[in-house]
Amino acid sequence: MIDFVQNTLDGVTAGASYALLAVGFTLIFGVLRRANLSYGPAIMLGAYTATWVFLQTGAGLIVLLVVAVLATVLAGSYVERLCFAPHRKGAAAAAMVASFAIWMQLEELATLLLPRHLYAFPALYEGGPLIFGPFFLRVESLLILLAAIAVCFVGWKVLYATRFGIAVRAVIDDPRAAELSGIDVGAVSLRVFAVSSAIGGLTGFLIVSSHEQVTPMLGMWSTLKGMLAMMLGGLGSLPGAIAGGLALGLIEAHSQWYLGPQFRDFIAYLLLFALLAARPPWMNTRSAY
Amino acid sequence: MLSVRELVTAYGKIEALRGVSLEVTQGSITCLLGPNGAGKTTLMMTIAGILKPRSGSIRFSENEIAALPAHAIVARGIALVPENRLVFPSMTVLENLHAGAYQRKNGFDDDIERAFTRFPRLKERAAQLAGTLSGGEQQMLAVARALMSRPKLLLMDEPSLGLAPLVVEEIFTIIAELHRDGVTIFLVEQNAHMALKVAHRFYLMEQGRVTFSGDPGSLAEDEVIRRAYLGSSKS
Repeated sequence: MIDFVQNTLDGVTAGASYALLAVGFTLIFGVLRRANLSYGPAIMLGAYTATWVFLQTGAGLIVLLVVAVLATVLAGSYVERLCFAPHRKGAAAAAMVASFAIWMQLEELATLLLPRHLYAFPALYEGGPLIFGPFFLRVESLLILLAAIAVCFVGWKVLYATRFGIAVRAVIDDPRAAELSGIDVGAVSLRVFAVSSAIGGLTGFLIVSSHEQVTPMLGMWSTLKGMLAMMLGGLGSLPGAIAGGLALGLIEAHSQWYLGPQFRDFIAYLLLFALLAARPPWMNTRSAY
Repeated sequence: MLSVRELVTAYGKIEALRGVSLEVTQGSITCLLGPNGAGKTTLMMTIAGILKPRSGSIRFSENEIAALPAHAIVARGIALVPENRLVFPSMTVLENLHAGAYQRKNGFDDDIERAFTRFPRLKERAAQLAGTLSGGEQQMLAVARALMSRPKLLLMDEPSLGLAPLVVEEIFTIIAELHRDGVTIFLVEQNAHMALKVAHRFYLMEQGRVTFSGDPGSLAEDEVIRRAYLGSSKS
């Protein structure tokens, strides 16, 4: 029982990061109906730029957060203009393949900036974990989970209570009718990309500062976990993205404990396969949010 | 007001418009007739900026608009009520109207009131999702949404399509009202009987070309058109 509870806490810890990643993926997928494979590498480039600034100047956490967000937004907008804007009308596969090519480019750029395999990053929280009897929970994961919920809440408010939100939802519903209503679909898509990249920058910052290190695995890791969590959460729903992220964290933690580390990813992918095959009603591929 | 010259629009190698020229004069109701596949919707979509013409010109109030994107054409004062309405199904009726007023930023509360006065049914259903409305209500919403941009020229692509006769009657009453309020209207319509009651000028399109133009009188005189669109021969 103690193991089960502690595993659950560990699952929430990992799941909080997955949830944040999934929120960013979901925003892009909701508007463009495209999977942006370069999302993870853009996050990695943001985190690398922040690390580089840290190494050069020893700047504090707030400055590093701003740098990570700005660099990720820049990388994300580059991806949008290069991969997604030219293929807006149809050619979903072309956009996805293009975003894969940019993936390589962004990763190369990051490793040119910082060629070693591992760099230290300042800690998000210096104190120890919260301890309740036999259990412990890292404060960092709690912060990440709170950030995920806050991002989701603000995102929801923006989508349902602002002029920009109405435009975004109109584009999701029917891009052609949105254009006919006077909405600049290209500009709205770019802004959604920039916003989701800013969320990505925040996510990257939180992840590397809670791990206190960066490695070149961050890009691939972010894309895989984020996409997986988004799909588990039903593709295109913000609360679903949070739920999917937490579910993925819990599945990984429990399967690692009960079945062994080699099953950690296996079970998650197996479940995804089963979900895609069964297509339960909440796995909605049409409407978003 | 709107002047289309030698317009060619193609889907790949297939030319859907093969040199279309026509005029819509300010303050008129102009009606475009033609069989399915004649290119009527393509023409509407090209004027509205959704499709890019291969050649030719579209002038609106003396300005060339053929190269502009759709949202910029809305800003110039042209709004299209598209075929099959294309309301935003997962948004409420009120949100659909807000989307239509996107370029106005603010100060359109009066227009929403006016839309609700014109279409009382939409007021009753203001908080309902547009996807749950009936076909006639969706058509009214599509018209109301287009009007939110305060267009000088309203394009309507088959507003009566798939609607019950009573609702069609209602739609044409609204068209006449809009015209009285000073909106110039250019509509595609298969229902020539209804169109004859309101329109001042007719064009007939066949296979991507304009093959007839004239006023309601000459339309009724034309033997071919009468047989094809009015379903009766001259007695």
